[in-house]
Amino acid sequence: MGLIASYNLRSMTVRKGTAAMTAMGIAMVVAVFVMTMAIAQGFNGALVASGSNENAILLRKGATSETVSGVLRTQLPLIQAMPQVARAGDGHPMASPELVVIIALPRASDDQPANVPARGVGPLAFEIRNTLTFVEGRRFTPGTREINVGKQATVRFKGLTMGSDVKFGSAMWKVVGVFTDNDASFESEVWGDVDLMMPAFQRDGYQSVTLKLTDPSAFESLAAAVEADPRLDLKAYPERDYYQGQSETTGTLIRVFATFVTAILSIGAVFGAVNTMYAAVAYRTREIGTLRALGFSRSRIVSAFLVESIALAVIGGVIGCFLALPVHGLSTGAMNMTSFSELAFKFRITPGLLVNGLIFSAVMGAVGGLLPAIRAARIPVARALREI
Amino acid sequence: MKFVGLILKSARRSKRRTALTMISVALAVFLFSALRAVLDGFDAVSAASSSTRLVTIRSTSMIFSMPTSHAEMIKSTPDVQDITWANWFGGIYKDPKNFFGQFAVDPESYLRMYPEIVLTDADRQAFLADRTGCIVGDGLAKKHGFKVGDKLTLQVGIPVYGSRDFDFNIRGIYKANGAAVDNQSMMFHWKYADERSTPKGQIGWVVTKIGNPDRATQVASEIDAKFANSPNETKTQTEQAFSASFASMLGNLNLLLGSVALAVVLTTLFVAGNTMAMSVRERTTEIAVMRTLGFPAATIFVLVVGEGLVVSLIGGAAGAALARIIVNGESLGLTGGFIPAFGVNNGNVVVGIGLSLLIGLLAAVIPATMASQLKIVDALRRVA
Repeated sequence: MGLIASYNLRSMTVRKGTAAMTAMGIAMVVAVFVMTMAIAQGFNGALVASGSNENAILLRKGATSETVSGVLRTQLPLIQAMPQVARAGDGHPMASPELVVIIALPRASDDQPANVPARGVGPLAFEIRNTLTFVEGRRFTPGTREINVGKQATVRFKGLTMGSDVKFGSAMWKVVGVFTDNDASFESEVWGDVDLMMPAFQRDGYQSVTLKLTDPSAFESLAAAVEADPRLDLKAYPERDYYQGQSETTGTLIRVFATFVTAILSIGAVFGAVNTMYAAVAYRTREIGTLRALGFSRSRIVSAFLVESIALAVIGGVIGCFLALPVHGLSTGAMNMTSFSELAFKFRITPGLLVNGLIFSAVMGAVGGLLPAIRAARIPVARALREI
Repeated sequence: MKFVGLILKSARRSKRRTALTMISVALAVFLFSALRAVLDGFDAVSAASSSTRLVTIRSTSMIFSMPTSHAEMIKSTPDVQDITWANWFGGIYKDPKNFFGQFAVDPESYLRMYPEIVLTDADRQAFLADRTGCIVGDGLAKKHGFKVGDKLTLQVGIPVYGSRDFDFNIRGIYKANGAAVDNQSMMFHWKYADERSTPKGQIGWVVTKIGNPDRATQVASEIDAKFANSPNETKTQTEQAFSASFASMLGNLNLLLGSVALAVVLTTLFVAGNTMAMSVRERTTEIAVMRTLGFPAATIFVLVVGEGLVVSLIGGAAGAALARIIVNGESLGLTGGFIPAFGVNNGNVVVGIGLSLLIGLLAAVIPATMASQLKIVDALRRVA
């Protein structure tokens, strides 16, 4: 094995041009694969990061997202009184009634209006989402028309920079702080006091309640308590599951697209590998005959040529990964189909994705090399040796 | 022309290799034409959108509604010929996955505003006469097997419409004449939805027909001025601008699809270029013999480039034809909602074939240069 692998690997360098072209073909496919999957992962990641194990979200029964949900004002105290809700230091229940409305703001890149979610939150929202940190300014003061803006939103949309006044609903709002939250979807949002947002948008109810559980294991009993109370036509979801579900429609769309494109592309690249390997086998007919005459078995010839093809493809895969790497962390936006608003997220290339890319390239190499390798093993020794 | 036979002969030299290259080019052209068609679909919607129709929405966002009195006030604006209004219903047909556009419309004026909605006279009368009647696009009807006379039940998706399911009678199946209207939507009487809506008398947007497209901007600002400083400020745009803003929400499609298309072409270029280089290398001795016999270097160059062109043209034509047959909205059933109907048209086919010629040319240039600059003596001395 060692001998034959080193023979094949060294043979690869003899015909550098062809080998390089084949590897580059595979590199392009892997690069496209990694980049498109990085979009799907980034989108998914932004929503998953929004959810925490320690939190639960309550929506109207049957509602698939916050935008179509409704929670009555009178239901809030009932929820806050539940024993599964964690208490802040001063004994206040950590449950934030929330309202999400979509406002239109011009995009910084092309001045086109884009849908931006504006979230009205309760006073303890920042304690409930404790991963959220301020990069600039401070929290809004409840009871005033002050707002906080996610980092992504300040970059992507006009007029949301620190200190500026924004008009939406029927009022002017002042930006007093900018926050980040591990690239979560909240970074694309504008946050303000829910009790002021409701009248500004002529709403008379909340849409959801997000609460911190006393303990992640308390979720089951909370869900049962909500279900059992006839005054609450609500359903509780673990926050993480809820946001995971929100990413499904768009995430699946991107993934299907990525798979379709890379599948078709990879066929082309595999054909390239097939051609190269057949040529390699043809050029080395005599050498293969010699190896067989020396006593190397057919299966060893097959595995040796397979190894050569896989090695070639993996080199391409590595190049492809490097080609794709610069997009990591680039931020982009896409419409979240469930809320009709624009969600900013970053291309996310994880080590796992790169490993998948390499495995993908190895598979392409194996598929492309199989038939030529078998051909190599079947060459009749006597005829092969006679060939010039 | 006299070298065509020779070119074909050399292309057949290694049938397997030529076939694989052709298929690679075919796949690339297939993918390219399909991507192009998606982009064209979006462009077609804005292009087909009328510039004599204005859309008025709430300035905050289109998910907010305005009172019906707005429609009356818009109607009295100078230059306005006709108005209609609609509301997004957002109901669920059996499963949220069966998403399609459902519009609560003022039936008479809506059909007048959109001559693109083609209905038979009988269906039109039946729809207008039935308070719970609805019409569905032929694409949607095909997808779910709707027939005229069927009942259609929608679960409420937006809480303002209460919680009871809505039952509709399908009174007509319309054909969409032009991309401004898609054939995957459903329209029904606005009054029916309004009866159960809280608050009542709300409309999502108003569509205005104006006589002179050159006055669109003025009329739009006159309309918006009427509602300035009211609780329901409006924003009026031409239908064209309105649909363009929808497409832009899906993200930067042009860039994404464009870079994928570039990668497709590059990959194929590597594959095809590699094959051509191999084929030339194999024929080194042959080419040297031809040069010795007196073929000029230019002819050798043309022969190799010709081979590249023939191989990729055949592949490209096959790929484009395949795309033309497979990729159309009907056979894929992909459209509906925010993705406009798309299909590969003859223009895409021509671009695809042109692309395959480009691939063939680029792939063959380097090997052809190598072949034509071959040193005869060295080449003859070389053993394959």
